[in-house]
Amino acid sequence: MNASRLWTIARLDLTQRIRTISWYVLLGVFAVVLVGTTALSFLSFSYLDDSGPGVYSVVVLVTLLLIVLVSPTLSGNSINGDRDAATLAPLQVTQATTTEIVLGKFLAAWLTGLTFAAVAVPFLVIATFGGGVEPITVLASTAILVAETGVVAAFGTALSGVLARPLFSVAATYLVVAALTIGTPIAFGLIGSSIASERTERYLTAQYDPTTGAPVCEDGTTNCASDLSQQVCEEEGPPTTSRIPRFDYVWWILAANPFVILADATPSGFTVDGYPDDLFGQTKYAVRQAQVAPDLDYVYDECDPEQNGPTAEEVVASTVPSWFIGLGGQVIVATLLLWWAVSRTRTPARRLPPGTRIA
Amino acid sequence: MTNAGIVAEGVRRSFGNVHAVRGVTFQAPEGAVTGLVGPNGAGKTTLLLMLASLLAPDAGTIRIGGVDPVAEPAAARAKLGWMPDSLGAWPSLSARETISVTGRLSGLSPAAATSRATELLTTVGLETLGDAPARVLSRGQKQRLGLARALVHDPQVLLLDEPASGLDPQARIDLRLLLRALAAEGRTVLVSSHILSELEEVVDDAVFMMQGETVSSERVAEAAGRARTWRIRLAGRDGVSAALPVAQALGLDVATLPVDRRDVLVSFEGDAAAAAGLTALVSAGLPVAEFSAASGILEHTFLDLEGGAR
Repeated sequence: MNASRLWTIARLDLTQRIRTISWYVLLGVFAVVLVGTTALSFLSFSYLDDSGPGVYSVVVLVTLLLIVLVSPTLSGNSINGDRDAATLAPLQVTQATTTEIVLGKFLAAWLTGLTFAAVAVPFLVIATFGGGVEPITVLASTAILVAETGVVAAFGTALSGVLARPLFSVAATYLVVAALTIGTPIAFGLIGSSIASERTERYLTAQYDPTTGAPVCEDGTTNCASDLSQQVCEEEGPPTTSRIPRFDYVWWILAANPFVILADATPSGFTVDGYPDDLFGQTKYAVRQAQVAPDLDYVYDECDPEQNGPTAEEVVASTVPSWFIGLGGQVIVATLLLWWAVSRTRTPARRLPPGTRIA
Repeated sequence: MTNAGIVAEGVRRSFGNVHAVRGVTFQAPEGAVTGLVGPNGAGKTTLLLMLASLLAPDAGTIRIGGVDPVAEPAAARAKLGWMPDSLGAWPSLSARETISVTGRLSGLSPAAATSRATELLTTVGLETLGDAPARVLSRGQKQRLGLARALVHDPQVLLLDEPASGLDPQARIDLRLLLRALAAEGRTVLVSSHILSELEEVVDDAVFMMQGETVSSERVAEAAGRARTWRIRLAGRDGVSAALPVAQALGLDVATLPVDRRDVLVSFEGDAAAAAGLTALVSAGLPVAEFSAASGILEHTFLDLEGGAR
């Protein structure tokens, strides 16, 4: 592997991209979308003292969304499209190795995706004007954004080397991206609710004297209305049963979702009440909550004031992060696909996919 | 094996049920231009792809300057320059960038690649178009750019697939001179074409391919030796009035001689018979203005072989 040839190939792809007008139109549209997103998120998070974390998280997540939507088109035909245009073989007869060609194209696709992230930078700076954005949040979310952009670029480049037809490989890249972003919540929801468990629910309600209406107290008096813990609670009626979904068995499915990875990996702050102060935290809380096994013998005791359930901050603190497993899995799959693409693109070619020509 | 040119022995390659190349054996020596001649679908492009180290043969051996392109593609690529039948040009790159990028990938330093690009643009006559994007080039100009790209790393062996297609007459003459000059420098040049009159003027030798196989030299010699047609034109006469004196001088029946516009067409068994015929015409006092083979030796052989194959 030769770094100068690798960079020559990456630059060849990048040069062609930045010399087309449509490329700038796309970046312009992207900037317009971000203008709207930033303005609306400032309005949405204006109820908080520090609206910075909220706005910042929305802009980062929308940037990831747009990169994930655009990247397959930019990378999904880089190898087979070149073969169709007869520009692949001229590279293959040079001293550039197949690995250099495939990785060079991957690098170009990655950098192209990062251009979108670069367009988002001014908006992220504006978001920090809202106050309260922690440097660690910026650092972690940027690192994950860069990594996820690379993963999508790798999927697209690899599939364009594995599949013969550009249209088919672009569609396949979209399907992979859709499986990760939309497919994981669908699978999570469907599988989780199909393996539901039976839960018995008992309700203990505070007792009141049927004639006087005064509360019944533990010490036999009637002056415990202000202190629920001193009141007598009794079960009303037989226990009921219901089926509740077991998301605690399938929460790991969501670990493969790029947005979950981004939210899970980014440290986020909480309000004084223990609520997340940004979209990363809210997403993280929702996903982490799925890890908690439901109580199958549920008792609701009105006399137990402690029973309000843990706050979001407590849930996040008591559950395990999963982003590195999700990201690690994606990196492994992307690496294997790239390796497959290299072996399919290797020359002198022994087998050619049906209906393709080498030049 | 000391041949530094191209050696192919028993090379075969099929795609599924299509046997594109079924048995190719030939040598292209260094210091010479060798033509690769065959009808459409004869397997010429497939053969060139195998020689260019892009396609692996199913069987047989290939040596490019003594190097096996299947076992050592990098070493073979350093020796060979390949020009495809249609140039896949990076649309928004200029001709100069196209050449220098290829040079960079072939191991030249940035400065060397840039100066080599300028040099080659002059060699192929594209110096005024060096900074125009490749997509605005005409077909002939793209062919010239393809040739420049193939030459960027100064290869010993050149594989050119239809280099003359789309070229104007002046560019064809320039190409011919360039190919002769490259061969004179000791390089091996293999040119495929079906414009046989073009090839005729530049090749030292030719390899004929029919239905995926190289035609044996005996069969080529036999085909080349068969009767060929010559065109005879007499000064100041049209074809019809020239036919009778020509037939009388050659001792032929005038009814057997076809006439094409101003020319009379006569069939001779090889060069010696033709020379004898010309002597007879001149000694009969006929004003012979033109006496030439109606078809080149390549074209004649090609048509004869193709006729035999049908």
